[in-house]
Amino acid sequence: MISLKFILNGKQVTVETEPSIRLLDLLRAKLNLTGTKEGCGVGECGACTVLMNGKAVNSCLILAAQIEGSEIVTIEGIANGNELHPIQKNFLKYGAVQCGFCSPAMVLSAYALLEENPNPTEEEIKDAIAGNLCRCTGYKQIIEAINESAKELTTR
Amino acid sequence: MPSIEILTPKNLNEVLSILSNHDKVLKIIAGGTDVVTGLKQESNRFIDAEILIDINHIAEVKGIEQRNGKISIGAATTFTEIYKNQIASKELPILKKAVSTIGSLQIRNRATIAGNFVNNAPCADTVPALLIYNATIEIESINSKREISLQEFLQGPYKTQLKKDEIVTRINIPVPPKTFVGDFYKLGRRQAVAISRITLAVLMELKENNINEIRIASGAATPIGTRFPDLEKFAEGKVVNDNFLRSLASKIGDEIIKLTGLRWSSEYKLPVVQQMFYQMLNRMTKRIK
Repeated sequence: MISLKFILNGKQVTVETEPSIRLLDLLRAKLNLTGTKEGCGVGECGACTVLMNGKAVNSCLILAAQIEGSEIVTIEGIANGNELHPIQKNFLKYGAVQCGFCSPAMVLSAYALLEENPNPTEEEIKDAIAGNLCRCTGYKQIIEAINESAKELTTR
Repeated sequence: MPSIEILTPKNLNEVLSILSNHDKVLKIIAGGTDVVTGLKQESNRFIDAEILIDINHIAEVKGIEQRNGKISIGAATTFTEIYKNQIASKELPILKKAVSTIGSLQIRNRATIAGNFVNNAPCADTVPALLIYNATIEIESINSKREISLQEFLQGPYKTQLKKDEIVTRINIPVPPKTFVGDFYKLGRRQAVAISRITLAVLMELKENNINEIRIASGAATPIGTRFPDLEKFAEGKVVNDNFLRSLASKIGDEIIKLTGLRWSSEYKLPVVQQMFYQMLNRMTKRIK
């Protein structure tokens, strides 16, 4: 067991854990943050996406010991209290959510994109979510929601 | 997941001294996109691992520098770092193009350049690009340091020259003269997050209308990433015209059969390789003229 220190959704945390469990399991099983989903478990579907130091990463491919000192953001850290983040609001408004399994990760990929590139083209949006599989929506509504969020966030 | 100890040394000397201990089965981990999936799927490459050495915090194996006409890329530099780096983007556009086809953004944010070839998987997308740039790699152990060409390093499918106590520290790439143009092609089953079926990289220099130098490499279609020296020699000095480009493209098929023998997929792959190679040559020679 190791004592792991990192920043989780803006708060400093310390967790006792096996070093070689996956970040995904640390979040879901140890910390009860079940918004992060497990799909394929091998880095292909993107359902387990979280932000590590501001970058979208697959939490199924990172081992607990590797996040020491990092800043991790999960879907639970995106909203401002009870006020949904504009990306989340637009996912609802544009019908970008159906079964919802890909949504937390999709929102985080969109969040990382807009932090880095506030005015993405449609191609840049597609590239940013190419690692997030959605089997319901056909992506059109997701791209619209991200595009609208970009407009809202830059005009505020 | 098996329970494994993970060490996070702070500098290269610590890594080398850990690697010199032969009592335990040690594996190096950086981005984890190969190691963690390998552990999960109980791959025999990782099944006996007792200790993982995380090299993400080792400055000596990170970052991109230009020195003495070469670009030196740290082994644990991520694909996103390479993609966004101005020097690499400007001087090594074919490597940049190869990097852009890898996995997804999430993968590129973690996966590293040496991680792409240290296991010598035939489908490693950066290998053909590194081969046409004549990349060399620096390898260190506690009491040795050597630099060899990437082609020498890659011995056979999933086999390399790397010894148990060694680590790849840097990839060094001589910057090709501005007169060279090149291209990279990847075929996967879909556009993103796809394991490549065919990759091709070409770099060439024309003098007037003659091929002064040409470097051709493939990945995935051959058992390991490889250059085609016979084909390159055949092409050098020849006048570029449509007939010649077609005959060169046809010959790459023969070269691949020499390496792989006829396979069940040859009937599909060879015409694709030949056609894509022809189109690349055609575009490149038009760009130069």
